[in-house]
Amino acid sequence: MLKGFGGRQLRINLSTGEIRTSPLDPTFARKWLGGRGFVAKILYDEVPRNADPFGPENRLVVTPGVFSGNFGPSGSKCSFGAVSPLSNGEGDSTVGGHFGPELKFAGYDLIVFQGISPKPVYLFIDDDRVELRDASAYWGQGTMETEAALKRDLGEDFEIAAVGPAAENRVVFACIGHDYGRQAGRCGVGAVMGGKRLKAIAVRGTRSTPLHDLPTLKELTLRIIKRTAQHPNMAPWQKYGTAMFVGWSNEHGVYPTHNFQTTYFDRYAGIDGGPLVERILVTNKACFGCWMNCGKYSKVQIEGKDTVYVEGPEYETGSLCGGNCGFDQIEQVAYVNWLCDTVGIDTMTGGNIIAFAMECYEKGLITRKQLEGHELRWGNLEDVEHFIRMVVERRGIGEYFARGYQAAAAYIGGGAERYTCQVKGQGMSGYDGRGAPAMLLAYMTADIGAHHNRAWTITMDEDLGKDVIRGKAKVVVHLQHIRPLFDTISSCRLFWGEIDVTDQEHIDAIKLMTGWDDFTLEEAMRLSERIWNLNRAHFLERNGGPGRKFDYPNARFYEEAVPSGPAKGARLTLADLDVMLDEYYAARGWGLDGNPSREVLEDLGLEDVATNLERAGLLGQLSAPLPPVRGEKYKPKAF
Amino acid sequence: MMTVYLKGGGLLREYLQPDVDEYTRRVEVAEGRTLRQILEAIGIRPVHVAMAFVGNRLVNLAYVPSDGETITLRPPVQGG
Amino acid sequence: MRIQVTAEACSGCRLCRQVCVVEKFGEVNPRKARLRIEARFPVPGRYVPHVCDQCGDCAEACPTEAIVQRADGVYEVQPELCTACGVCIDVCPEGVMVKGPDDIPFKCDFCWRCTEVCNTGALVRVE
Repeated sequence: MLKGFGGRQLRINLSTGEIRTSPLDPTFARKWLGGRGFVAKILYDEVPRNADPFGPENRLVVTPGVFSGNFGPSGSKCSFGAVSPLSNGEGDSTVGGHFGPELKFAGYDLIVFQGISPKPVYLFIDDDRVELRDASAYWGQGTMETEAALKRDLGEDFEIAAVGPAAENRVVFACIGHDYGRQAGRCGVGAVMGGKRLKAIAVRGTRSTPLHDLPTLKELTLRIIKRTAQHPNMAPWQKYGTAMFVGWSNEHGVYPTHNFQTTYFDRYAGIDGGPLVERILVTNKACFGCWMNCGKYSKVQIEGKDTVYVEGPEYETGSLCGGNCGFDQIEQVAYVNWLCDTVGIDTMTGGNIIAFAMECYEKGLITRKQLEGHELRWGNLEDVEHFIRMVVERRGIGEYFARGYQAAAAYIGGGAERYTCQVKGQGMSGYDGRGAPAMLLAYMTADIGAHHNRAWTITMDEDLGKDVIRGKAKVVVHLQHIRPLFDTISSCRLFWGEIDVTDQEHIDAIKLMTGWDDFTLEEAMRLSERIWNLNRAHFLERNGGPGRKFDYPNARFYEEAVPSGPAKGARLTLADLDVMLDEYYAARGWGLDGNPSREVLEDLGLEDVATNLERAGLLGQLSAPLPPVRGEKYKPKAF
Repeated sequence: MMTVYLKGGGLLREYLQPDVDEYTRRVEVAEGRTLRQILEAIGIRPVHVAMAFVGNRLVNLAYVPSDGETITLRPPVQGG
Repeated sequence: MRIQVTAEACSGCRLCRQVCVVEKFGEVNPRKARLRIEARFPVPGRYVPHVCDQCGDCAEACPTEAIVQRADGVYEVQPELCTACGVCIDVCPEGVMVKGPDDIPFKCDFCWRCTEVCNTGALVRVE
């Protein structure tokens, strides 16, 4: 019997209404672990390469991983995956809260949706009872409104994941909301869900998950809890969450400001962690089983507006919907956060898209007339609210933004591509890479587009030199394996990154959950690398090659110097980017064209993928011998 | 001269090289030095410190510690 | 002796519920926990822990006198006297008695695991 998992999977065809339950294959479970691993494998195997992300053949994969609901460090996460309408490649996004554990307690490790429902539905799961139910009563409602309505109708003890109007209207950066303010935000997974006319998933689970050795796991976890409660990072983390880094990010010149025009926002003091805690915080809000509780739940009162409640703003929202859109008051940022959450758009790509439109307006590339008589000024709440409505309802020029960067830039013209701060259609996270070249490389090469959770390097960039290009790629590769591993096992990486719960302790916990006595950190890291290469191959098979041509950001990042602030003057050239990419591909065992080589794929047990790439003419040629281990852990300089 | 205790975890610990306990480093400094000067004197770049606390009180790098005080240093989050 | 509840400090992580069931049933399944966290969301945005304060209402309601107070004040279910009628579960003012195997009710016996893992100060052991 498979231990540590729920043990079952659900296959749901939304076109026909067919629901199938089957056991989870233990070999599959060990090979791909769950979460991001299941997503990558299922999408690669099942979605035809020419399938439209919004078509019936795309899959929506929902999967809590091995940690979910178990008594280990964290274990709150659930992955949502689909071929992304942003990147047209593999997309996966995780959400914390209580949804993943609840699915696990109902006994499910995996739900795969295909098809498109003829009418709006939601999936109802109450342990063994699984039904597609009419969702017309909820259609059109916001994510939090839907959650409240479903809890009212079904019971408070159901956990809900729901999409809002943006997803219903297939806005490509639509997200999936859960627990009144947590989101599977990135990659447009919500857009795929809404496009399938799946309004929500409601789940209640009452089963006990079978575990291999709970007494020892309990000992381990209690020991970790006791130790980390005294960790120096704990108290500030609990008090401020991630919002406190707005100030730090500004002081070190990496804070996106006015659509990444510069990297320092001189009025950041009003939107830092301090004002959040002092002015709008209602309660701390944790994910399932997490004793760090970084979530901040806020009440926002702005004259002339309804009082609203929102979880956040955390750092990414506080940067991308903050200084990047010119907002200098925490209430305004929180209000934009609420707007995005309610209509159901990712605050990251969403914040980026708003800022992009603002810069186009500033430069006269879009007009007042196109904005239905409104303006789109930095830091103006009314303007932003109106613009978001236009995008979500796909009115006028909003239609093009709803389709993503490429469509919007093409429609606007006048060289607007320069202002699309993205890679592979995914808006950049809240760190500017010009003063941190490895961070830019991390964005350029991330499988899902410009996202920081795959690798984050700012302090290494500072250590080794902000203008140093060489010697950093190997570390980016290593981080791209270790960090997404936490999304694969459905644990929160902040236990590892913040309070020193070691990678080995996570592996020990998995062994105690599953009984896989020979499971090692090396196996887990190889799995993570296998997923990385699989996603790259998937991307290439869908989009053609060479891979390298997709790995560049917009021209701002290699043609413009940072004009102000602590990083003033920092600039990178296209040649710099090419040097980094060459090093990166070599470190990965890929060809200089950015295509994976047969050697590395075979080393990872992906022979079939090598054959597929070869047939498509997308196999890379090694330019140097294959490194036996790809990636290198960064060792801070000892003083 | 006086004694100041610097406390830090995560990546910061690798720079701090704790000697008192798992997280704490004892530093002998001349009186009147700012936290920034103390950090620089032991080879820690300000970029590795996002926040500093004396007890529950948030202080900045211009803070001047007094003898025997413990300063808790908070590194930047490893990506928000 | 009691579990002191500070609702404003609770962040709703439910680690207390997890550890309760791990300790008492040797399972992971928070639904069997002998305490619960009420979530008042989206408005006003507050978690309210409900814990047993050994009030004795369950013992008073029990038709077979199967719930008995120990010398330290804790009320305990005597399974051999219990008929699994469930009245105690219904009358519990905090809603923190749960059915165990064979529908025998279980209640908090002040083992303090919840207060040991609570990292927010919401649940604190008071002698």
